[in-house]
Amino acid sequence: MTRPRGTDGSLLESLPWTLFALMFSLAPHVQFLPWWITAAFFVCGAWRFLIEKRRRPIPSTWFRGFLALLCFLGVLATYATISGVGPGSALLAVMAALKLLETRKRRDQFVLLFISIFLVMSSLLREQYLWSLPYLLVAVFLIMTAWLRISSPAGERARRSFSTSARLAMYAAPLAVAMWIFFPRISTPFWSVPMDTGTGTSGISDTMSPGDISSLSMSDEVAFRVSFKGNTPEPRDRYWRGLVLTMFNGRTWTGNDPFRGARVHEQVVNSGRPVEYSITLEPTRQPWVFALDIPWSWTLERTFMGPQQQLARSRPIDQRMAYDAVSYLDYRTDVELTDFAKEFYTRVPSESNPRTRELAARMRSEAGSEVEFIDNVMRRFNQQEYYYTLQPPALGSNSVDRFLFDTRQGFCEHYASAFAVMMRAAGVPARVVLGYQGGEVNPMGGHMIVRQSDAHAWNEVWLEGVGWRRVDPTGAVAPERIEIGRSGSMFDGIAADWGFSTPSMLVYQMQMYYDAINAKWNEWILGYGPENQDKFMEWLGMDDPDWRKMMLTLVALVIGMVLLISFILALRYRPPKRDHAAILYRKFVTRSGVEPHLGETPASFAVRIRPESPLPPESVDEITSTYLEARYGPTNVAALQKLQNAIAALP
Amino acid sequence: MSSIPWPFHKFGFKPAITEAASRRVRQWARKRQGIDPTITRLRPGRVYILPTGVGLVFGLMVFAMLLGSMNYNNNLSFVLTFILGGLGFVAMHQCQRNLVGLELHFAGVEPVFAGQAAQFRVAITNHSKNPRHGICLYIDKSISETQDLEPGESKVFVLAVMTEKRGRVPLQRFGIRTLFPFELFRSWAWLHMNLSGLVYPHPADNAPPPPPTQTAQGHRQHDARGEEDFAGLRKFHEGDSPRHVAWKAYARSGQLLSKQFAGADTSSQWFDFSQVAADDIEERLSILTSWIISTDRTLEDYGLRIPGSEFPPSHGEAHRRKCLETLALYGLAENDD
Repeated sequence: MTRPRGTDGSLLESLPWTLFALMFSLAPHVQFLPWWITAAFFVCGAWRFLIEKRRRPIPSTWFRGFLALLCFLGVLATYATISGVGPGSALLAVMAALKLLETRKRRDQFVLLFISIFLVMSSLLREQYLWSLPYLLVAVFLIMTAWLRISSPAGERARRSFSTSARLAMYAAPLAVAMWIFFPRISTPFWSVPMDTGTGTSGISDTMSPGDISSLSMSDEVAFRVSFKGNTPEPRDRYWRGLVLTMFNGRTWTGNDPFRGARVHEQVVNSGRPVEYSITLEPTRQPWVFALDIPWSWTLERTFMGPQQQLARSRPIDQRMAYDAVSYLDYRTDVELTDFAKEFYTRVPSESNPRTRELAARMRSEAGSEVEFIDNVMRRFNQQEYYYTLQPPALGSNSVDRFLFDTRQGFCEHYASAFAVMMRAAGVPARVVLGYQGGEVNPMGGHMIVRQSDAHAWNEVWLEGVGWRRVDPTGAVAPERIEIGRSGSMFDGIAADWGFSTPSMLVYQMQMYYDAINAKWNEWILGYGPENQDKFMEWLGMDDPDWRKMMLTLVALVIGMVLLISFILALRYRPPKRDHAAILYRKFVTRSGVEPHLGETPASFAVRIRPESPLPPESVDEITSTYLEARYGPTNVAALQKLQNAIAALP
Repeated sequence: MSSIPWPFHKFGFKPAITEAASRRVRQWARKRQGIDPTITRLRPGRVYILPTGVGLVFGLMVFAMLLGSMNYNNNLSFVLTFILGGLGFVAMHQCQRNLVGLELHFAGVEPVFAGQAAQFRVAITNHSKNPRHGICLYIDKSISETQDLEPGESKVFVLAVMTEKRGRVPLQRFGIRTLFPFELFRSWAWLHMNLSGLVYPHPADNAPPPPPTQTAQGHRQHDARGEEDFAGLRKFHEGDSPRHVAWKAYARSGQLLSKQFAGADTSSQWFDFSQVAADDIEERLSILTSWIISTDRTLEDYGLRIPGSEFPPSHGEAHRRKCLETLALYGLAENDD
């Protein structure tokens, strides 16, 4: 092993750029990385720079190996795995830090720039926002510039590397756009890697335990965006069906399927006009696909309808998905219900929530019919002291009892759960539906925004001769929740955040404008999948687009563009037009059979060749003097003619 | 040939297969292009291009990124992939165009002693309106300095070729190369200008002292320089012995003059090939070379006698060159190949 020699400072011109490109690529990862990796990266970067600046030796191989082992174990300890985007980018950051310490030659930095590119890539896999495109463009530009710095001769100005990479990027841009548009998108992935893209999402979970969480996160994050083909439904019809919970164990509602052995789909009869719309669903990493109550058809692949008209996909929604759907707002399902089903939908654990069950039994016996019983329960929620709050107290065991008789504070889940338990206790088949309720129309984009804070739970009860009917007990407590949605309150929150005492129209407009851009961005850039690509190809005039046609177009376009670039470059590097006199003189030089020396003037050339050339000495003199006159003299047109004649007259 | 390692180096392909292959390719190029004049402008057809090791890794990386983007249907990583792919295409054409149209002009080579590197000078002119980046000349292992050429600029590149023995060192083929931009591609052209440089024999390291001074007529000279018969003054030439400078005249007129002596023509050393005390021809030539160098340094006259030619005693640069060239080429057939 050779002892590391001191650095010679030759990296001072390129290393800062490489470091800058690396740091820029790492920036979006910092919030997801454990602090010690970011710290290690910056320490190594600063350390390496100082080593170069002060001409110190780089650390020894043993030390670097030890550090590498330490970092690898650290990543393993933090993530417990090394696959996936999170640990992957952590490993990349660690590799970059360690590679910095062993970078000796200019070309070692290529590895660092390759790591930079992978860091950008993994950031894009993790998240794609509006700023992701400028981020990736700037990162590529910085990486290119650093790359040029590595191989440019010492002492070259940084501005020059900048302009060179700008010029090359300009040539590459149309190529990239053409490839992006025409490269055929496929819908089926080759393999599946866990996409642990970090932050847990708010919104819908697949079970419901009112009282377990004492506060619901009211995130303003967008759950999905909808654009309607026709009229926008009324606010009271904006129920976005997600999943249906059918089983209650006294505390938690779950969606287990009662008819697992023989899936029996409910009989659906639709009436009224269909509502057509398209949805851009943000990634949830859950299988639930949302649609207006109740969906009739949808275009999302691998998506199936469950027995209770809920949509689910066989793979989690791990990226933004766009689909069209058709729903009917007026419908009847399952006018007939089997005895087994009736029994299933009225099951409640016999030992839990005794007071609720007793209350339900009493109220049912007081009421003349099931409909009257339902009305009475709703009226009880409405007229007695129940409060709608997002921060209800925790409930403990017998949560429904505690809620109904003691705390009397809760949000939709509490009401839906209590309502369903009361229905079941009284023998009325009931279930809970989770989804979203509401939606805010963006006046700028014309689309509707449904946010995580619109997450909602409501009930369906089964009535003889009617089928399943939607009942929303939360509406009895907080009717404005249903009537206007939460948009007003969200808007107040933003205004308060920004320090406005009264809602400012400007902030609201800016918010909406930003959202409109975001929606277009999601739809056309991020959502440019197989469907959108087909649509776009048809718009471009391609009949019946398939991947072969697209690939052919792509290849033809790329070849055409590359030829064009080659032509432009040839023009840029073409020699200047030769002077006519110079061309004639060159003929004379060829005829003389002697090559001029470097830097030899025509006059001295003439003196040199006169004795040895086969040409007559007088024509050598004449041609030389006429050439000089034609090229540099005032009467050059006449001289040019004379030169032409003289050369034509050569033997 | 490239300073960027070819990735198959490690696996031992290079010595056997690639060496033979590259020799075949060079022979093909030589046949195809013919002998180049000493002023040659690079046409597009003779500028070749191949990816470097870095370029291959880059290509693999872009391919992997394409697969990843397809798998996740991630449109932004498609953007990244295609920008990098597009840059690859652009880099390829830029790399080739960086050489096309350059004018190479052989600018001479100074004679060297065997064991020294012959410095072939080639002037490269950029006639276009745009700068050329990262140009260098190379021959096998030897690489010239890498330089940029501004529009209209002409720079001299020096190609060092190690010499081992006297005679002519041929430079039948050399290359011009660029890795600009990004070192993803190496674009190069071969030139066959049929150049050669002169290599003097290696001066003997411990040569015997030069033979004593003698007159050409055979009678003894008194003091080795024949200073008795003062014949007049002439203008001082570089190389004249300081002893012969007329310092008194200098003090009077401020003009440097050398004293001339009658009989100076005969008062010099003769280096005779046949009288050198060594058996080997090369050794004799080496010793003669070393004598010439050391005597030239003392600015005294010397003559060289070698079978086939004889140079009467004289001094100065031209004389020295003529003598050394004769030694360099002694006994070698003058066939240009």
